[in-house]
Amino acid sequence: MPTFDLQINGQVHIVDVDESMPLLWILRDVLGFTGTKFGCGMGLCGSCTVLIDDEPIRSCITAVSRVVGKPIITIEGLPEDASHPVQAAWLEEKVVQCGYCQAGQIMNAIALLKTNPSPSDSDIDDAMKDSLCRCGTYQRIRAAIHRAAEA
Amino acid sequence: MKKNLSRRDFLKLSGLAGGGLILGIYLEACAPGTDVPEVTVLPTGTPSATSTPRQPFDWNPNAFVMMDQDGVMTFTAPRSEMGQGVRTSLAMIAAEELDVEWSSVRIVQANADQKYGDQVTGGSTTVSRFYEGMRIAGATARQLLVLAAANVWGVEPDQCTTEAGNVIHPDGVQRLFYGDLVQAASDLKRSGKLQFKESSQYKIVGTGIGHWDAPRIITGKAEYGLDVRLPDMVFAALARCPVFGGSISSYEDTDARAVTGVKDVIVLDDRVAVIAENSWAAIRGRDALKMVWDEGGNATLDSREMVIQATSRVQPPTMDNLLDAYYELPYEAHVTMEPMNCTVYFHDGICDVWAPTQDPQNVRIEVAHACGLAGDKVTVHVTLMGGGFGRRLQVDYAVEAALLSKTLSVPVQVIWTRADDLQHDFYNPMAVKYAFVSLDTPALPIIRTLRGSSSVPTGWWRSVEHFSIAFSEQSFIDEMAVALNRDPYDMRLELYEDNEDALAVMRLAAEKSNWGKAMSAGQGRGMAYFATFGVTHVAQVADVTVETNGIVHVNQVVCAVNCGLAINPDTVKAQIEGGIVFGLTAALKSGIVIENGRVQHSNFHDYPILRMDEMPVIEVHIIPSDKKPTGIGEMGVPPIAPAVANAVYTATGKRIRHLPIVPEDLTA
Repeated sequence: MPTFDLQINGQVHIVDVDESMPLLWILRDVLGFTGTKFGCGMGLCGSCTVLIDDEPIRSCITAVSRVVGKPIITIEGLPEDASHPVQAAWLEEKVVQCGYCQAGQIMNAIALLKTNPSPSDSDIDDAMKDSLCRCGTYQRIRAAIHRAAEA
Repeated sequence: MKKNLSRRDFLKLSGLAGGGLILGIYLEACAPGTDVPEVTVLPTGTPSATSTPRQPFDWNPNAFVMMDQDGVMTFTAPRSEMGQGVRTSLAMIAAEELDVEWSSVRIVQANADQKYGDQVTGGSTTVSRFYEGMRIAGATARQLLVLAAANVWGVEPDQCTTEAGNVIHPDGVQRLFYGDLVQAASDLKRSGKLQFKESSQYKIVGTGIGHWDAPRIITGKAEYGLDVRLPDMVFAALARCPVFGGSISSYEDTDARAVTGVKDVIVLDDRVAVIAENSWAAIRGRDALKMVWDEGGNATLDSREMVIQATSRVQPPTMDNLLDAYYELPYEAHVTMEPMNCTVYFHDGICDVWAPTQDPQNVRIEVAHACGLAGDKVTVHVTLMGGGFGRRLQVDYAVEAALLSKTLSVPVQVIWTRADDLQHDFYNPMAVKYAFVSLDTPALPIIRTLRGSSSVPTGWWRSVEHFSIAFSEQSFIDEMAVALNRDPYDMRLELYEDNEDALAVMRLAAEKSNWGKAMSAGQGRGMAYFATFGVTHVAQVADVTVETNGIVHVNQVVCAVNCGLAINPDTVKAQIEGGIVFGLTAALKSGIVIENGRVQHSNFHDYPILRMDEMPVIEVHIIPSDKKPTGIGEMGVPPIAPAVANAVYTATGKRIRHLPIVPEDLTA
């Protein structure tokens, strides 16, 4: 099998995997970055969202060969003390219930705020509507994004 | 006066491995109404000379509260956390009575053990069942610490008070840190009557505290079932017959074994497992199996046909001025964001199970049974859950993992795909509800329930059959109001005139939603009231807009709730918000269709759930109460579907009698 150099959270990881293996499973099963979650395997729910070149990418449908050499940020790449403005806003608004989708939601929100520092409700809807939450935390996610935008 | 640093330094200097001086509070009985139990205090062997919270593995499992020399309360949560916030709520109750600051609280999760009492996390019962016990756990510890301090000072304990993890001397000046009293307290026996706080003294209960797990969740550190990682662990994905109750006729696994990373193929009775070194290989290998199924007797099951059959079985009654209606509700799937999974290591005649489960005790029983072990050889570690909603009251996922680990003698993680999860659920049962009343004597309707095929696996689903009861009852009340030319809210006030709790939440919801205010064309407002499981009173008013193409937008939901004492009001609100979203998915989007014995859904594209751009503004108003807490996890769900359906009626004049609401219902 070929080897790939992956830049994850500022560190290089060399993996020896099938070239079509999705990034999600490399993160979770090969490298142990289990903060990125499996929800659908078809890019439909957003739980697996990571940042690649600051873009929100569904890692469950993104083959490893497409991300070589690009900076990848996972939830573990955010401050451990939860001091990133989006993390802080998530705590302030008490967003999480089960929390399973929230890593993906947070990465998606960070990407939104990078391109649109003060999004409207409808901007948030557009950017976040493909990140699903079965617990129904959407109202608080919306509030947290506004709060982070003001931070 | 804090002496814990010197104590810790002593432990470090002397190289003692023993914390050992932990105060354990044992509760033999926690049921409401029972006497305060005798307290046994044991030193533990849990070694630690650091400020790290100690893991209570060696403790008698009836222990819920322990405290170390750093004044940290470690709370052992007896029930499972799946987003409903119970770990936090139960710890809040104990911490309140112990009188420690919330920042001094740590939470660990109990393994499966009968000594914790009933660990079934279901029925929205956790806070109500454990409320008294958690108060006793905290108050007992506090009393012993006060006694220890009183002994040091030579004063009467009832002259001492406590504050934020310290005992305060009668002089109001001297204080002793709880952590420094742990050793002395561990030698004492509790006596006399326990003192509980008055609710006016609460500093933690009644405040909106975010989930204790939240900081770990948003940094990626929280461990869900699928995040368990063990040395030499393998991953497994299983092929299951798409027709309920079918079995394997034959299979061909050459292609599956050729998938990179696949290690083995194992038959488990009616299913075939592909074992691999990672999840992706296991799933690809499973998908490469060529299965020939013996579909058995259920290959013609058809859910639409079941509705027709059920409806035909109704015998309308004979009565004057009969008003009647049929309401149809489909099977519903749970669709937890974390698909079913379990990790098991069977080795040396024992079995360790890491299960995201709502019923760890039954996991233990069923795994022991499946593996031919005595129950005490099975340890069930309960992980966080990416949603439960009743699906994880089942134990099928755990038995699969246990049997595979027993066969392979290595740790096995069974992973279900989204399709597996949708197609092999234990569904909320479909129902046809027949409601009727004589308009001569308007009253709450009589409702008869007709079900589908018993061959479809069904189980508990958030709010269980109260979802269909509320939909039929509360829709029918609106139909009565229309037939009698009454305002639906006024009609409800009359129907529930003897139910003060019902009236209170309806009045509050009506007031906060400006009930009666005129709506524009295409808009409508609807109300529903329901007391899920008879204990928590909830009224909801939904405002909708119905577009000309029949699309329903729910703009706002105003909810009033009486759940007794709100331990964590923020969690109460969050659970109502979540319950409304869960119910809106069933009202507007989802529903399982079965054709040719097969569930016709495989992922979120064909089993959609509510999204951000469909999210209404939700307002939750809690009625202040000092009564014992009731329950909140499921109570937001039942009223929302009829509230929306009733709002759709006022917007369009079209009555909704089946779920989900589809645009064709409103454009015809």
